[in-house]
Amino acid sequence: MDRRDFIKIGAGATTVTLAAAAQQFITPQATPLAVVTPPPSPMSLSTLSTTVAERQLVIEPVEKEMIDGKMVYMVFYFLTTGQAQPPLRYREGDLVSISITNNDIVPHGFAITGIPQATIAAIPPGETRLVPSFAAPVGGSYLYHDPYDAPLNRILGLHGAFIVDPALGTTVAGSPTPFSRAMHTPQIAAVFDAFGRHPRFPGDSWKPQDPARDKLWLFSQTDSTINARAAAGVRISGQALIDAFLPDYFHINGLSGFDTAVHTSTASADLAAAEAIEPVGRQGQPTLLRVMNAGLCTHSAHIHGNHLFECTEPDASGVPYCETNVYERDVWIMRPMDRKDMLLPFERPPDIPVWPPKQEPFPLRYVMHCHTEMSQTAGGGNYPQGLVTHWKMTSPIYTF
Amino acid sequence: MCADTVSSSGIDWTKTGVKGDTNFQTFGCNVFQESPPTPDRLTPDISFVRQVVSSGQLTAPNGARLRYWAFEDPANPVKTPYPSPLIRVREGQVVHVKLLTAKNQHTIHHHGIEPSTMNDGVGHVSFEVKNEYTYQWKPSNPGTYFYHCHRNTPLHFEMGMFGGLIVDPPEGPGYLYSSPVQNAPNQRYQVERLWVCDDMDIRWHNVIGQNHDAGQCGENVGMNRFEPQYFLINGVFNNYTLTDQKVAATARIGETVLIRLLNASYSILRVTFQTTVTCVSCDGHRLGKEAWNAPIVFPANTPIELTSAARLDFLFKATRPGVIGVKIEFLHWITRRVQDYGRGVAKTQIVVS
Repeated sequence: MDRRDFIKIGAGATTVTLAAAAQQFITPQATPLAVVTPPPSPMSLSTLSTTVAERQLVIEPVEKEMIDGKMVYMVFYFLTTGQAQPPLRYREGDLVSISITNNDIVPHGFAITGIPQATIAAIPPGETRLVPSFAAPVGGSYLYHDPYDAPLNRILGLHGAFIVDPALGTTVAGSPTPFSRAMHTPQIAAVFDAFGRHPRFPGDSWKPQDPARDKLWLFSQTDSTINARAAAGVRISGQALIDAFLPDYFHINGLSGFDTAVHTSTASADLAAAEAIEPVGRQGQPTLLRVMNAGLCTHSAHIHGNHLFECTEPDASGVPYCETNVYERDVWIMRPMDRKDMLLPFERPPDIPVWPPKQEPFPLRYVMHCHTEMSQTAGGGNYPQGLVTHWKMTSPIYTF
Repeated sequence: MCADTVSSSGIDWTKTGVKGDTNFQTFGCNVFQESPPTPDRLTPDISFVRQVVSSGQLTAPNGARLRYWAFEDPANPVKTPYPSPLIRVREGQVVHVKLLTAKNQHTIHHHGIEPSTMNDGVGHVSFEVKNEYTYQWKPSNPGTYFYHCHRNTPLHFEMGMFGGLIVDPPEGPGYLYSSPVQNAPNQRYQVERLWVCDDMDIRWHNVIGQNHDAGQCGENVGMNRFEPQYFLINGVFNNYTLTDQKVAATARIGETVLIRLLNASYSILRVTFQTTVTCVSCDGHRLGKEAWNAPIVFPANTPIELTSAARLDFLFKATRPGVIGVKIEFLHWITRRVQDYGRGVAKTQIVVS
């Protein structure tokens, strides 16, 4: 199906119908396990309790529609609600209990970078295994993935975000942060303390309970040829896969190009997912971007409108740490398996001569895209239907 | 045209991404194209003109000819410049950059400069320039930036539509920032080089580049594959960068050298200096300006990586006579191998006497 025809057909229908139609394109080939207990909404904050209901993940191969309409074989972890690649969210100290059922015809596994005990090396087809129980570690952003036949299964789609909220995240001066206080460096404290206090940053401090101020940008790439060969049983992994890898689709949270943001008339294929990606707020509402790269490319993420604060990165064992030198970047490097928590300050775009603008209306919109521009394509062309989204500043903090 | 959509500047916002109907077509294939007046236009302190030309041709040391496109300054006798001519301004100036597009549509994105959406040069959230437009901005952070076309960006950027952009403090060149303190740290320099590093894949330049809109409406033109064979700094092929004076520098003992490094390639750059350098700025924001960061000292021969479009500014003092070598390796974005079977390396030097 040609993607543009698909949109044209959908445009006359309601957005609800369109979204429902689009949902059909992420359909497990087999019926997922019966729903037992609906897990809590994955991006909502977990409660203070230290025991969390067991979460069930199901591994299923699917045919997923790419942004240009091409159907591509992929394999995902699903929640029993049907959500693919679900972010898993806990509070520091929570006892984490996860079961994984493998509904594929080949073995799979489970691992979380930086949490070595949370590993299942292999789950035979048709079987269920429990992830060894562990306490959620220090607050920050982690990546779960399938380490079996690495990196093939991760590239086929078996990955997702594992997010831990800190038990005590405030700075000594009382500013909320997404990182455990024990991790804080003076520089990270200085950044979070600057919001609402520093002349550059009138407005709010970072708001930990507000999902609009806490975004996940999980980057991935798909080589449709490799996926088709895997579906046919020809599986390559290791260095041979890295050498052969020629991705033709580039994603944020599984979406590409047009679908990664909210538009005026035509809906994204998954509006809720688009809303979860696109940062929206007024001046003075700093927003955390949990940026991860599950793929094999090194991305050069570039943002317009504001420089970002590079707050964390993982150490050699995958454990996140806070920076002692917080750079302000408009380009930041995202190597394979990198996770960087970046802060978008929502400060006045510093180079606008007339502020607030008198003639140019709000919202101001600014793109974020990878500057290694091969990633801006879909199916070998189609600029800019690749790793791109944008953010939106809805109003100034004060008007005169 | 509804009255409430037309601003006092005379712009019909519905014909731009600002208030237009944004859909799958306007996002990629049929982007908004206009030649509007500049909203909130002020009297400029400094102005530039950039005329698009698409007739460039470089001859590589092996005899291959590479087609390229450029932004030309009509007032400059250099025709079809590569890279495009430097834009150099001072902090706090109101800057106007007038783009003349010739026969096709283009934009200018002043990379790292953070103006309003209409002046940011991204078609699908604002507009692409049909004939002409004057971009307006007022830089607030002295540092190293660049500018490039943001239409069908993988191709237009690769085809050479980019140039350096330096914002000096009000004191002008020779200063990195203003300070009320005499002899503030890392404030002055005497020798300066901007190194614009680029790589070229001849297939992109001579095949894909035959069509300005290649791939834009869905054709597979293979723009997800980039395998460069040519490596340049400031338009000089790597065979000559070691000594060519557009790249290499000379300094006297006691002088402070500033290297502004821009990655305008699609490779990961890995740079090593044979002397200790201090990184004083990244992406145009000075390290040490705020409490949360500080300049970084890199001992001699430390590999430093930067990805496409990143800028790092390095400072060092020439202390003794000799040659300070600099090696810039271009690494593949997936395999991390040095490009072109190990040939993707550009070397240069600073000779101290």
